Amino acid sequence: MTDTQMVPALQLAGLVKRFGDKTAVGGVDLVVPAGSFYGLVGPNGAGKTTTLSMATGLLRPDAGGAWVHGVDVWADPVRAKALIGNLADGVRLFDRLTGEQLITYTAMMFSVPRDQIAPRVADLIALMDLGEAAGTIVADYSAGMTKKVALACALVHAPRLLVLDEPFESVDPVSAANIEDVLRSYTSSGGTIIISSHSMDLVQRMCDHVAVIAAGRVLAAGTVDEVRAGESLQDRFLSLVGGRHTSEGPQWLRQS
Amino acid sequence: MVATVLRLRYRILGNSLARRPWQLVGFCFGILWALGILTSVVAGLVAVAVFQGLEAARATVVIGGSALVLGWVLGPVLIAGMDTTVDAEKLAPFPLSATQIMAALTATGVTGIPGIATSIAALATIALWVRWPLAAIAAVVCIVLGVLTCVVASRLVSALSSGLGGNRRGREFVGTIVLILLIMAGPIVTGTLALTSTADVRDRIPRIADVLGWTPIGAVWAVPADVAAGQGVSAVARLLIAAATLAALWLLWARALRGAVTTPRQRAAKVARSGALGLFGRMPTGGVGATWARSLTAWLRDPRYLRQLLIVPLFPLLFAFTSGIDGFMFSSSAVLVALVLCLSGYTDVSYDGTAFASVLATGIRGRDDRLGRLLGAASIGIPLIVLLAVVTTAVGGRLEHLPGILGASLGLVLGGYGVSAVSSALLVTPVAAPGDSPFKSVPGQTFLTGLLVFVVMGACLVIGAPAIAFAVAGFITGAAVWGWVALVVGIVVGGGAAVLGVWLGGRTLDRTGPDLLQRIRAFPTT
Repeated sequence: MTDTQMVPALQLAGLVKRFGDKTAVGGVDLVVPAGSFYGLVGPNGAGKTTTLSMATGLLRPDAGGAWVHGVDVWADPVRAKALIGNLADGVRLFDRLTGEQLITYTAMMFSVPRDQIAPRVADLIALMDLGEAAGTIVADYSAGMTKKVALACALVHAPRLLVLDEPFESVDPVSAANIEDVLRSYTSSGGTIIISSHSMDLVQRMCDHVAVIAAGRVLAAGTVDEVRAGESLQDRFLSLVGGRHTSEGPQWLRQS
Repeated sequence: MVATVLRLRYRILGNSLARRPWQLVGFCFGILWALGILTSVVAGLVAVAVFQGLEAARATVVIGGSALVLGWVLGPVLIAGMDTTVDAEKLAPFPLSATQIMAALTATGVTGIPGIATSIAALATIALWVRWPLAAIAAVVCIVLGVLTCVVASRLVSALSSGLGGNRRGREFVGTIVLILLIMAGPIVTGTLALTSTADVRDRIPRIADVLGWTPIGAVWAVPADVAAGQGVSAVARLLIAAATLAALWLLWARALRGAVTTPRQRAAKVARSGALGLFGRMPTGGVGATWARSLTAWLRDPRYLRQLLIVPLFPLLFAFTSGIDGFMFSSSAVLVALVLCLSGYTDVSYDGTAFASVLATGIRGRDDRLGRLLGAASIGIPLIVLLAVVTTAVGGRLEHLPGILGASLGLVLGGYGVSAVSSALLVTPVAAPGDSPFKSVPGQTFLTGLLVFVVMGACLVIGAPAIAFAVAGFITGAAVWGWVALVVGIVVGGGAAVLGVWLGGRTLDRTGPDLLQRIRAFPTT
């Protein structure tokens, strides 16, 4: 297995995480091939964020392991994390820094050579349409701008694997389209992306692979065409996960 | 409506105590402490009622009552932190009028543990007036007014310190100024008292009570005594002062709330010139440089860090007021400042909050993180301590003690950085979130983590002990050589402890990083 194409970009084996007596993730196995654009979909509370946290070395699994391009995340976190660009959901940034300072800081943390930092930061700020806000501190950003600056931080060290947890949440459509283009060109040049999302349309449009996860387990995984099996991804997802009910909503909510 | 808010507040308290056993232990200690204080207050009041006359009763109730009001105003800011479980900002989305919100907040204030304790203590003062039935009736009215004054004044301070201006920068600025003023108020009052207390204190108490009785904080408590003494005009005048005080506080609070509720978290308009990277443009690339720049930026700009630096001028000022600038304490204040500063970073990771995830995600080596944080803290702490030692010994005319004092302070603070490098890889405590008022009380602080401060302080003292011992030897014998020995020992032992701390703390952090993050994420957020 010396051929890098054969080693998966991300491999998860038997990941388990319990919080108290609640099992958040109950044995997740996943293989993300190198160069793929992998979608992770599931209802709220399915364990997507928990799984991705364990895959990126932020949350210690109770059992199982994670390998990034063959490097064990939990045995050699320093080497593994250098390969990952991580956009975590539900955590703060160092939001007392300006957008520009935050991206520069992240580049420094990954030991990007000093002479490369400024051009990279300038490119990312232009890419994310953050030019006017570059000097504003991140605490004063809107939700969408915060997401974009976090995405810029995930990209700045040119990682081989991008792990993006809900990257398009509250991002405006124009920026989202621009970012999509960049992500596509990244995967076509050999980079790998795993992305969690609630938007089936987005996953069906952008991803070539998808895994459906619910109640801490993988219900289906493979290429998008395999998983949706002729249906739309939306319909396939609903029949896998269940819980859809048809109703007009409670009577008291109706306005006429 | 008020009842709904009250139920909500007790439901929140119940839920958080049920989830955190150690917090429950702390809570029970708090109640026991309150009960103990209350018992002795009631016993004291009964004793005064039985054995003393009208003048003693007046002095007791006026001075005690004034202290109570002051405590309600200053206590939350200086010691306990603001209770923000239920505050105006959280009630803003509901269709409640400003008056209803204020009524609900006043009710939660009165029915909290401090509110209940205050009410009981205030009601116990009725015992003082049993010999004067008319005064006892007046006392009931005054107690209601007095307790409401306490609660409303406290709510006003809380609204001012957290909501003034609505804009983030304005809020932080005002918050820091208020904090400085309050901290300075302590030494000034102590100093004034020390200056004026030359005469017999016993003679002054009735006069102090009389003066306080005409001020907004004491008037309400002086009314029953006036009634008992048959001084009708004076009683009415004081009652008017008390009522006017409460009305003024209420109106000011209404105004402050209007500002806070209608302009919450306004975005700051000030934008730095792009390309203004600050320290991030100067530090070398890599984990150490990045952490150093981030840490030093926080020390220079984050109010939660700046707050810890306020003690640097505080100690010398305190000693200047109490024992004069030629006193021994004034010129050694650098040592005490060092002792407090060395504790400042003992749970440094807590201040990152969940942003620690972004540190962890970079895979930075523990020792690089530790070294960066240490350099950040030292870049501001060491120059301040050296400056303070030079200035205080020069002003105090004890320059010959400078090497010893410098040695003891540097030994302490360097050793403290080493201890913090290890302790902050093991401990996280709930702290105010970045951008929140540094006065806000944070839920989830437990009794156990409170005790650990003393363990950390003990370790700092042990490491600082050799240098302190040589410095003391120098002061006693008067031989200058011991001072220089203390300086060398302080730098060598402290520096050694810092290096060891970075190494040991780094290894620990490599192991504990994900666990720290998980604990930070589990802290309750308000």
